[in-house]
Amino acid sequence: KLDSTNPFWEAFKAAADELKLKLDCRIFPGGTDSRYVRQVGIPALGFSPMNDTPVLLHDHDEFLSADIFLKGIDIYVKLLTAVANV
Amino acid sequence: MPSDYESDPAVSNLRNYLRIRSVQPNVNYDECLTYLRGQAAELGLPVQVFEPRPRKPILVMTWEGLEPALPSVLLNSHMDVVPVFEKSWTFPPFEAHLENGVIYGRGAQDMKSVAIQYIEAVRRLKAEGIRLKRTLHLSFVPDEEIGGGPGMSQFVKTEDFKKLNIGFALDEGIASATDEYLIFNAERNIWHMTVVCPGK
Ligand SMILES: [Zn+2]
Repeated sequence: KLDSTNPFWEAFKAAADELKLKLDCRIFPGGTDSRYVRQVGIPALGFSPMNDTPVLLHDHDEFLSADIFLKGIDIYVKLLTAVANV
Repeated sequence: MPSDYESDPAVSNLRNYLRIRSVQPNVNYDECLTYLRGQAAELGLPVQVFEPRPRKPILVMTWEGLEPALPSVLLNSHMDVVPVFEKSWTFPPFEAHLENGVIYGRGAQDMKSVAIQYIEAVRRLKAEGIRLKRTLHLSFVPDEEIGGGPGMSQFVKTEDFKKLNIGFALDEGIASATDEYLIFNAERNIWHMTVVCPGK
């Protein structure tokens, strides 16, 4: 049961703060599978660790720098540890 | 930072996944499943494949936590990618060309990179002998790019999904051209929460 504070979000946020990630929170445009997960009452966050990257999804020459990709793994190591230890 | 990306196993892993042509429409997911089963075997994780709709498989790898009765965490990604107009590409979109530290390919952002990041993060944690409290389920779903109709929208209605006992889920966001990371949260009555984002 979810209250005004979500412990998973709190853990996620705390880990992101520790990593000094600047988060820009937005309302989900509603275009991904998260909406089905939320419809059955499960809180879901949409997050891909790709900053300093031009938005090229669905575009030609879609790319990701290896640096950003590898940094994303470091980020998930911390975030997953945090949310799975709530 | 590794300087030799060609030999980085995580980078190679991503490139191999990008080379699978799971491109809409009418995706055959067999190759994705074979690839993901191989990943799970390397990680030593059990795999379940659900098919709420024929030929629309959902593969779930499970890393059991120390307290498996607690609600689990779902790490979701979709296996399909949108079509390409190949002539507009500098490099072939399913070659996963790597040049000057940049990986080119359909799905590099949306969202095969995230799928491999989940896998590699779990690989690292396991290699370090870490155990987490809650169970992690890594789900790989079909047909997100055509609305998720036969994929996740069906799966969430099944007993198999309920049995995963999910308390929280992560899924894709989107790239950000600045140094900030974008994060999306639902705002409707499903999830009441106060979000304080510094730097805004
Ligand atoms: Zn996507």
